Amino acid sequence: MPPWRLPDGLVARLHDKAHAARWEVSAFSFASALERSAAKAFAAQPDPRDLERFLASLHLEDLALACACAAGHEGAWEHFVREHRPLLYRAVDAIDPTGGSRDLADSLYGELFGLVETSGARRSLFEYFHGRSSLGTWLRAVLAQRHVDRARRSRRFEPLPAEDAPSLAQTSGTHQPHALRYVQLMRRAVTAAVARLAPKDRLRLCYYYAEDLTLAQVGHALKEHEATVSRNLARARREIRRDVERQLRDEEHMTASQIDECFAAVVDDVGALDVKDLLGASRKDSPDERSKERAEGASA
Amino acid sequence: MPDRDRSIENALRRVLSDDVRAQPQSTCPDAETIAAWHEGTLRRDQAVAIENHVADCAHCRALMAAFVQAAPATPAVESIWRQWHLGWAVPLATAATAAALWIAIPRSTPPPEVEVREEKTASVAQPPSSASPATPTAPAAAAEPPAIQNAAALAKTSALLRDEARRRANESQVAREQVANQQAADAAPAGAALSARLEADRQERADNAAAPRPFTVAARLAASPSLEIVAPGGSGRWRIIGGQQVEWSTSAAAEWGPAALESADALTAGAAPSPTVCWIVGRRGAIYVTTDGRRFMRVPFPEMADLVKVTATDDRTATVSSADGRSWNTSDQGKSWSMSR
Repeated sequence: MPPWRLPDGLVARLHDKAHAARWEVSAFSFASALERSAAKAFAAQPDPRDLERFLASLHLEDLALACACAAGHEGAWEHFVREHRPLLYRAVDAIDPTGGSRDLADSLYGELFGLVETSGARRSLFEYFHGRSSLGTWLRAVLAQRHVDRARRSRRFEPLPAEDAPSLAQTSGTHQPHALRYVQLMRRAVTAAVARLAPKDRLRLCYYYAEDLTLAQVGHALKEHEATVSRNLARARREIRRDVERQLRDEEHMTASQIDECFAAVVDDVGALDVKDLLGASRKDSPDERSKERAEGASA
Repeated sequence: MPDRDRSIENALRRVLSDDVRAQPQSTCPDAETIAAWHEGTLRRDQAVAIENHVADCAHCRALMAAFVQAAPATPAVESIWRQWHLGWAVPLATAATAAALWIAIPRSTPPPEVEVREEKTASVAQPPSSASPATPTAPAAAAEPPAIQNAAALAKTSALLRDEARRRANESQVAREQVANQQAADAAPAGAALSARLEADRQERADNAAAPRPFTVAARLAASPSLEIVAPGGSGRWRIIGGQQVEWSTSAAAEWGPAALESADALTAGAAPSPTVCWIVGRRGAIYVTTDGRRFMRVPFPEMADLVKVTATDDRTATVSSADGRSWNTSDQGKSWSMSR
C-alpha cells in the first residue's frame, strides 16, 4: 500500500466508472485496489494529475470484477466463469494442443478462488491483478507463467543426452582438423555480434530461433506485421554476418579461405541441441577459459 | 554467398537456444507487468526496461513465447497497405473486388435484406446520402467511400456463400430423405428408419463441414483493412483490422492508435453514436463497447450467435443482429437483452 491516500472524490468517480456497485464492491475496497495499482506503478508519490491519468487509464471494470471475485461475490464469479473460462481453456489448449495442460487452468481457478494459503492466510490470486492490462491478458500471462514453471520443473528431471551422442564437431566433419576450433570461434563471434544488436532485434531473433515462434507469433509479441518481422530478421542476419566476418578477419586475423572454413564448419544442420557443446561453450565464457582457448587456437 | 547465410542461421539457432533450465531471476517482471507491457500500458521507461530484460532473460522469453502461443489467432498489426504506402490503393482494390463479385454473382440471387442492412451498419454515422443502395452496381460501389464498399463486398460474399450453403443443405436433405424413405420401405421399419436417421445425421454433419462457411470467408475478407466506423462529425473513427485488431483515430483518420480490445472471436461490425462511444460486435456473441474511445469492455450477451450488425444510440442502448436474422435490444449496456424479430 502506498503511504498516500487517494482523494475521496476521485475514488467515487472511478468507482462509478467501473460500475463497481454492480458487484457490490464498496468504495473502500475499490480504493484499496486502486492504491495497490498506484503503488505498483509509482515508486514515489506522483503528481496528482499523473496519478489521476494513470488511474483513469486502468481497466476499471475488470479491476472491479477482480475485487468482487476476490471477495467471493457469487454473481461476479458467475460472470467471470462465463466470460473467461472458455478463453482460458482455449489459451491452455493453444499452449499444449494435446490437452495435457487443462489441469493448469483448473488449478488456476483454485488460486483465483483463494484456496491456496499464503502464510496461513487465504489470498486470492485476483489480488495480484492491478488493472494495468485487461483481465483476459493478465490471465493468459499467469497461465503462461505456470506453464513455463511446470516445464522447467519437469525438465530438471530429464536425463542428459547419452555420452556417446555425436557432437557438433563430429557431425560437421571430423576430417577437418580445425573444425572444433572453427565452430567455437563462430559461436563466439555470433554471440558477440548478437550482443551488439539492439534489444528489440535480439528479442526478435530469440523468439524466432530459440523459441521457434512463427513470424506471425513474433509479430504478435512485438506488435509488428509479419512482413516487417521477416524484413527485420533478414536485416539482423546480414548485420551479424558482416560483424562475424569482420571479427574473424580483424580480430582473429584469418585469411579468406579460413573464414570460408569457419562458415563451412557450421553450415550443416546438426539437429538436436548438443548439450555437451553448450556446457563447454558456457564454461569458456569466463575470461580465463577464453584466453586459454585463444592460446590453444594460436598454437594449432 | 548463400551458404554463409545458412551458417549464420544454424549458428544463431545454437547460440540463442539458452539453457532450457534457466531459472527466473529476482528482477524478472511478474505476470501482471508482462501483461501490461504486452498491452502497451506501461510508461515508456518501464516498457524499455522490460524489453531489455526479456531480450536477455531466457526464462522471460519462454514465458512470452507461451503467452503468445496462448493468444487468439494472430492479427496483423501493421497494415501492409500502410507499410508500402499504398493506402491510396485500398479503395481501388475494394472497388475492383466489389465489381468482380458483382459480375460473379448471378442476378437471380440477390443478397438478403439483413445483409444489406449490415453495410449500413458499418457507416451508421455516414450522411444519409452516402448510404449504399440495396443492390449496388459496380460504378456506384466505386463512387462510395471505402468503408461502405468493403462492407458491401463482405455482405455480398457472405450472402452468396450462405445461399450456396443453404442450397447444398437443401439438396442433401432431399437426397437423404429419399434414401431414408427407400430404406424404410425396403427394410424392417424400426431398424431401417433408425439407421437412415443416423446416416442422415452423419451426412448432414459431413455436409456442414464441407459446405463453405460464410464467416470463414468473411473473416478472410475482413483481414484486409476494411471496416471503418465513423462517429457523427467524422473526427472519431475506429477501424477493425484483420477481424480482431481495433484502432482508434480522433483526427479524422489522419493518425491512428491502438484501441484496447482483445477478442478471441472475429469482429464483424461496429457502430459509433458519438466520438467516444463505439459498439463492436463479432462472432460467438462477442460485443464490446467503449465510452472513452480507447478501452473497450466486453458486454455480456446470453447467446453464442454470430453477430453481423449493430446499431446504437448511446453507450447504453444498442440493437445487435445475428447472421440468421435475429435481433436483440439492450438499453442498459447489456445487463439485460430483449429479443426482437
